[in-house]
Amino acid sequence: MYGETGAAIRAEFAALLRQHRIQQRLVGTTTKEREELGGLIRTYRQTVLVWLGQAMRAASPLAFSNMPPAQPNPFRAVGSSGSHLSATELARAIDLAKHQSSASPASTHALATPNANPMVDRWRLAARAAALAEHDTSEQVSAQMTAPQAQALVGDVAALTQALVVLDQRYKNTPGWEPLAQCARLGWASLAAALDVNLGQPDYAIDHLGWRPKTKVITGPVRPGILGVLQAQHNLVIRMKSVPNATNLRLVVDSQRLVSAHLAPYAARIDERLAGRWTERAETYSVIQKELREIGGLLGKGGLAVSEGANAVARLKALPRDTIVEPRVVSGFQLLFNRLDHRIADVIEDGVQQGAFFKRVTLPRLVGGGGQLVRPVRERFVPVTPAKDLEVVKTVRERLRPKNEPPMSTPGPTRVDLHSALIHRPTRGGAVDVPNV
Amino acid sequence: VAFHPGKESIVLLPHAQTLAQARSYLAALADQASTIDASSAYERVLIELDRIQGDECPSADAEGLTEDRAILLAVATSALEELEQYGVDPLTVELVIAMLDDAYALDGT
Repeated sequence: MYGETGAAIRAEFAALLRQHRIQQRLVGTTTKEREELGGLIRTYRQTVLVWLGQAMRAASPLAFSNMPPAQPNPFRAVGSSGSHLSATELARAIDLAKHQSSASPASTHALATPNANPMVDRWRLAARAAALAEHDTSEQVSAQMTAPQAQALVGDVAALTQALVVLDQRYKNTPGWEPLAQCARLGWASLAAALDVNLGQPDYAIDHLGWRPKTKVITGPVRPGILGVLQAQHNLVIRMKSVPNATNLRLVVDSQRLVSAHLAPYAARIDERLAGRWTERAETYSVIQKELREIGGLLGKGGLAVSEGANAVARLKALPRDTIVEPRVVSGFQLLFNRLDHRIADVIEDGVQQGAFFKRVTLPRLVGGGGQLVRPVRERFVPVTPAKDLEVVKTVRERLRPKNEPPMSTPGPTRVDLHSALIHRPTRGGAVDVPNV
Repeated sequence: VAFHPGKESIVLLPHAQTLAQARSYLAALADQASTIDASSAYERVLIELDRIQGDECPSADAEGLTEDRAILLAVATSALEELEQYGVDPLTVELVIAMLDDAYALDGT
């Protein structure tokens, strides 16, 4: 997730920005040793620069200027707007700094080996987080990004670039140090980009994008009480990754109907509104179940999902009536319900669309002879209709699919911390974070 | 079990009609059940019946059937018993009927 890797980079840089008197921290008896450490720091910086450039590339298709569209003038030629995007300029400056530097990005070995010097180790951690963040700003992720989210990313890149510029000034006395190319230009470009981002409203929901570890089935012994139900429900959501066939889908739907209906009384003690929603969910599943009777299909599997659904029902029925369900557990159920409803809605819609599920045919009806000589069998044909005319698809779209609730997003503490660290200066006299000399 | 996956099963018209009747009665029972548990139990009988037939079943039509659950149970049971004549394994049919009886017992209480 970008939220985690981005926060790690910002935290390390905020700590580095609070450190002054660099030469005393680069402990080394000889100039050569300090030069070696300086070279190591530059490889770490190069890794960070590589990520910054990549993040800007991910954001650039979405980074629009905040310039309001001009009144169209019919007497003027179109497309002659000379405005230069500050984000493009920042991307160009970062690329330039990356290419002009002689250092190569840090190797995996260098990223993984802790350094004895605490300051160099911070650089290492920042570079490691940057290398991991390449996962979170890859092209697949940027395809899901919205323009305000891209702006938030540009803002982060601008702040980190500014941090690199400040640190570059501070490290310039290190033997063999190579300053960033066009350092001043880089600083002003990042300032302009940051100011430009703040004209709009950056959306920090970008923290939720990116790579996530794979969710796994909870194995092992059955958790006691309500947690066992939660465990089965969680496993059911994961097992539903494989597409079930029509029979198994009906069994899963049946289990959800029962789980929702039986959980509602427990939830009612905590949250009446939620209990109402769950009762409604049970009714929705009843309707879907009724409509799925007319749907058949042999493609798919889903045996494991069915067994987990049955587990959930059986464990829930075995609970004592007076069990107290914690609010945490209740919200866990709500989360799992939302995911499962999405998945079941997808399975039904895709299945009908792609022909994995089909509608049962109504039988030809034999009508008793009415005195006529020839009596043909009355047959009813099912017209081929688009998927959206099917009852069950309509129900799924209108009732089952959860409404999209945008996740709450705040800038988080690390962004604020980094911004304040950018202008940090040591207090006179007893500076706490400066080693005694 | 009558249905063997991979083997073509032939469903003739009278067989299909009986099946459609059985499904319709079960669907009506599920719709009219007094509790959600009973309704789900009937539903599972219906799913089991479909599974036995390899999901090659005609559609059910629960509209316009009687609302008396005892009568529905009787006609459903007789339709299920009739399935034996069309090559469905008698033991399987008995098991389905036993499931139906259990569901009805759940419904009555």
